[in-house]
Order: sequence, then structure tokens, then C-alpha cells
Amino acid sequence: MKTPALTKLYYTLILIGMFCILDSQAAYATQMHSNSEGIIVHQLGHMFFLVSMAILIFTINGKELNREKGWKLLQYSAFLFILWNLDAALAHFLDNQINAVTVTMTDNWQTTITARNSSRFLAVAYYILKLDHLLCVPAIVLFYKGLCQILETQTMTGNFGKRR
Amino acid sequence: MTTSFIPILAVDVLGSVVMVVISILALNTARILRIHDRDNAVFLYLLWIAAGFCIFSVSRSFGHILRQFLTLSSYQDIWESISPYSGTINTVSFMLVGLITLFFGQSWNINEKILTAKKRLEETHTELLHLNQNLELKVVERTEMLTTSEHKCRRIFEQSLDTILVTDNSWKLLEINPAGIAMTGYPRKDMIHGPMHMDRLFASQSEWERIRDAIVANEFILNEETDFVRPDGSLIRVLITGAVDYGAFGCGKTHHFIIKNINDKKLMEKQMAQAEKLAALGELSAGVAHEINNPLGIILGYTQLMLKRTTDPESIDFDDLKTIEKHVNACRAVVSDLLKFSHKVSAEQTRVSVNSLVRDVVKFLSNHPALRQIEIDLSLSREKPSVMGTEQELRQVMINLLINAGHAVNKDGEIRITTTRKSDGHVHIAVMDNGSGIDPETMPRIFDPFFTTKPVGEGTGLGLSVSYGIIKNHKGDIRVQSRPGEWTVFTVILPSAPEHEERS
Repeated sequence: MKTPALTKLYYTLILIGMFCILDSQAAYATQMHSNSEGIIVHQLGHMFFLVSMAILIFTINGKELNREKGWKLLQYSAFLFILWNLDAALAHFLDNQINAVTVTMTDNWQTTITARNSSRFLAVAYYILKLDHLLCVPAIVLFYKGLCQILETQTMTGNFGKRR
Repeated sequence: MTTSFIPILAVDVLGSVVMVVISILALNTARILRIHDRDNAVFLYLLWIAAGFCIFSVSRSFGHILRQFLTLSSYQDIWESISPYSGTINTVSFMLVGLITLFFGQSWNINEKILTAKKRLEETHTELLHLNQNLELKVVERTEMLTTSEHKCRRIFEQSLDTILVTDNSWKLLEINPAGIAMTGYPRKDMIHGPMHMDRLFASQSEWERIRDAIVANEFILNEETDFVRPDGSLIRVLITGAVDYGAFGCGKTHHFIIKNINDKKLMEKQMAQAEKLAALGELSAGVAHEINNPLGIILGYTQLMLKRTTDPESIDFDDLKTIEKHVNACRAVVSDLLKFSHKVSAEQTRVSVNSLVRDVVKFLSNHPALRQIEIDLSLSREKPSVMGTEQELRQVMINLLINAGHAVNKDGEIRITTTRKSDGHVHIAVMDNGSGIDPETMPRIFDPFFTTKPVGEGTGLGLSVSYGIIKNHKGDIRVQSRPGEWTVFTVILPSAPEHEERS
């Protein structure tokens, strides 16, 4: 059970945090952070997500769980998430990091993609990369199906994780 | 490149919605899995990762839809102020998913350990259950065996015809079976609940000390013969076997005895030996009497012939012949007694009333010097028993017994005569005196011819021998019990006269 003094400390910290975020001013006493830090952190997050999905695939293989359909589906899901991470990271790289692509909306539901050096290939590639839901939606569906399969196996046999 | 924005918009918005819906369904499925087996660490992991995906999908989809909405509705500037937060949440969410995913291996290993431990626990539980059931069965089985064994031992103890007796280390009686109580004659409460010790059962303390020392020295005794004394003072000849038991299960040291009553056997052996001895003596006496009787007859005949020829009764020859005649007659009486003892003389048997016989004899002997000062108490049966026999001979038996009793008691003595008709068809005539009794050394010889404890010249030693011969000749028996210095009982046992003859 938290003591009143501890609760007061938490509230104080939250208020200070909100003040810093919502009403940020130049704080010359501390190190300055450039705007590019956000995208780098985001990209690192994608890489971390990607690596963790790869580890999951290998772990499932290592535990020989891929013989079961449910875990096999989870492996497929992880693989699609890897592809999605690559897709998303590449798209962010093009438009946020190197600014190789500029997207402009027009009035009649048209969009203009302007690639560096007027590269049509880059523009088409960027257009395709922007359709990343075509990867993450099947990935989450496979994850869901995998869980359903595991549940079904568990319900039918009641021996999940006991085959050894 | 200018192209339609609709595919991107459609995929973005619809994909976001589908992401949210499917991730929620996945979270629900993971929750069901978790509920299904709360101890499964992998299911907990799947729940966490599904939750991570759900947060990721919701935050991302919310950001995407909001962005499309604000962009299309010309609120680009609002989106630009929101987008850093949306992106941050999005970044945090999939980093969270990645972080959770990294723990899969550990979760699996933990689950493996939990399952292994659970399996071992179940196996141990099953084994324990089996052992417990087995133990219960074994306990029931052993208890039944123990009960049966105890029951068997108890029955042996209770039903044994021999005495089984247990004492503690200080020889105090702890247990005795019903046969023992019947044999020793002491009440059970005195023996078990009272402070009664083993030595009290023995007639002789020296005998007890001898047996006790043998047990202490050898830890057992085997078939030792000794006498027990009953509360009424009577002795019982017993064969005793005993051993030390050092006990088990915390029980103290005890002594166990098995005691056989050989009193009747010994008595029978004595009686048989006595009967055989007397029979042999009877044969001898009969032979001697027969051989002496004829010469005596000739001597008596010639003596009486010479007496007839002697005309002067005052002459010395006449006195001498009279003396010869007198002693020859005495010899003939002795020979006659010997023949009676050896059952060689038989007379006509008639019905004899026992009570009348006893009264007549008592009256006849009332002035006898041996019985003059002595009170004779008669306790005669009201059934008026009678026997078949020669009254003269039976009278002689009673006279012999009464005179013997009179010699045994002093002036303050008492003699009691009891007649009883027993249900086994016999009449008992008991002559009891409170005189000097008969010591054990003398007892086996009292029926021997010419055996007497009286001074020389006072008795021929033929009284009891003749009585014995007469009673045996009447198909009866004569028994004697005595406690030296206290009392003696002679019991004459004769077959009762037949019923129809009694009526006639």
C-alpha cells in the first residue's frame, strides 16, 4: 500500500513531466535534442521489433514447436511482421530521414509523389511501400489464427506444452 | 508521379480497422487460453504479447485514421501537432511487443520447469496415494491377522485344561486362566487384583525357593514336580514348566508358567501300586495260611485228644495242653484273618443296613477302653442306605476303624462317623478323627499285614489289612486322607444294595 508521501511524490513527478512536454522552452542547462532524434528512435524501434520477431521464429524452431499448426502460424505471422518492419523502416527512411520523396495532395483525391532525381522507380516503390497494411494485417490475422489453433489443440487434447 | 490517393487511403483506413478488430479478437483468445490453464507460463506470455499487439494496433490505427481524417479535412496543422505523440506511442507500442517477444524463450523454459515439477508432483502424489491405499490395506490386513492371532491365543489361554500363569519380575501374579483358578482354588480377584505372589501357591517354601532359584539361574524350568496348597489346605501334585520373558514393545520382564495337575494321576498310580502290593501280599498270606492251617489243625486235634485222655485237670500236663490249645487257637485266628485279608473266605451275603450297623458298632464299643472317654458324633444319612454283604465282616471293619481312631485321638478327641449315599450308586462310610494323623512315610504301608505303629504286643498289624481284604471282597474300596497332627479320614466305599431288593 502506497503511503501518502509516496503518492504526493508521484503526482509531483507527473505534473513536472507534463509541464516539460506541453510547455517546453529552451533549457540551456541541459543538452539540446534535434528533431531527427524522433525518427531515429522510431527506426530503432522497428529494428528492435524486427529482431525480436526473428528471434521468435528461431525460438519456435529451436523448441520444435513448429510441428504444431498453431505455432507454425505464429511463425508466419512473425515473418510477415519482419517484412512489415522492413517496409515501414524503408518508407520512413525515404520520407523522413533522407527526404528522398515528397508527397503532395491535390484536390481531386490525387496525390503527387515526387522522388529525388525525379526517379519514377523510387516513386513507385514508395507508393507500394505506403501500402504496408497489406503486410501487417495478414500478420495480425495469422497471429490470431495461430492463437485460435493453439486454443483448439489445447481444448481437444489438453496437453499443450506436455508433448515432451 | 501523380496517382490516385484512394488505394492508399482505403488500405490505410480499412487495414487499421481490421488491425484493431483482429488484435482485440486475438487478445480475447489469449485471455481464454490463459483462463484455461492459469499455471501455464506460455499462455501468460501469449496474453502479454496479444496485449502488446492490441496496444500497438489501436495506437497505430488511431494515428493513421486520425491522420487521414485531419489531412482530408484540411486540418493538417492539427495533425502535425498531434503526430509526434501518436508516433511516440506507436514506437513505444511495437517496442513493447518486441520486448515481450524476447521473453518467449525464458517463458517457455519456465513453463517447462513448471510442467516438469507439476508432473513430478503428480507422480509423487499418485505414488503417495498408492502407498497410502496400500498402507491402509496392509494395516487392515495386519490388524485382522493380529486380531485373529490374539483371539486364537486368548482362546488357548481361556480353554486350556492346564494352568497358564504369568507373573511380573517380582513374582506377583498378573494373569491366570480359568483352569488355573479352578486348580488353585483361590478367587480371581485375590490372585490378579490382590498382592498375591507365586510363593503362596507352593506347599513348601523350600520347594518354591528351589524352583525360583532354578529359573533365575537357567531362565527356565522343565517338568518340575512339586506340591501346591489350596486355600482349604489340601495339596495338589503339579508338574510345572516355566520360563523368563524379557518382553517386547516396552513390556517389562515377566515369567510364564504352564502347570499340569497330576494329582489324580499320582493318586491312581499310588493306589495301583498299593493294590498290586496288597494283592501280592494276599497271595503270599493265603499260601502261608493254608500251609500253616493244616499243621495247626493236626496240633489242635492231637492236643484236644490228649486233653480228653488226661483225667486230672489239676495236673501239670493238663495245664500245658490247655496252653498249647490256647495258642494254637490264637494262631488259627491269625490264619483266619490272613485268609480274610486274601479274600479266600467267603460267607453268605445279605442286605445290611449301614446306619444300623454303625449304631450297633458304636454301642458295642462304648465301653471299649480305647473309646470310653471319646465323644463319637454320628451323622447318618436319612436315606437309610444299605449294602449287600456279610454283616459280621462289615461289623469287623467298622470295629477296626473305630478302635484305630480311638487309639489316634487323646481324651479330648472327637470321632465323627458319616454315612452318605452317593448318586453314583455307592455308599460312603467315613470315620474321621482329629487325632495324630498319619505321616506321609507311614501312609503307603498302613494296609500291609503285620504293619503296626503300636508298641509290640498291643497290635497284630492285621486290623487294617483284614478290613482292606473284607472291603475288596465286597467289591468296595477303602481310602484314607490325613493331615499329620490334625485329622485323618478313613472312607469305606461299598456298592449300594439294588433298588428292588430295598423295596422288598
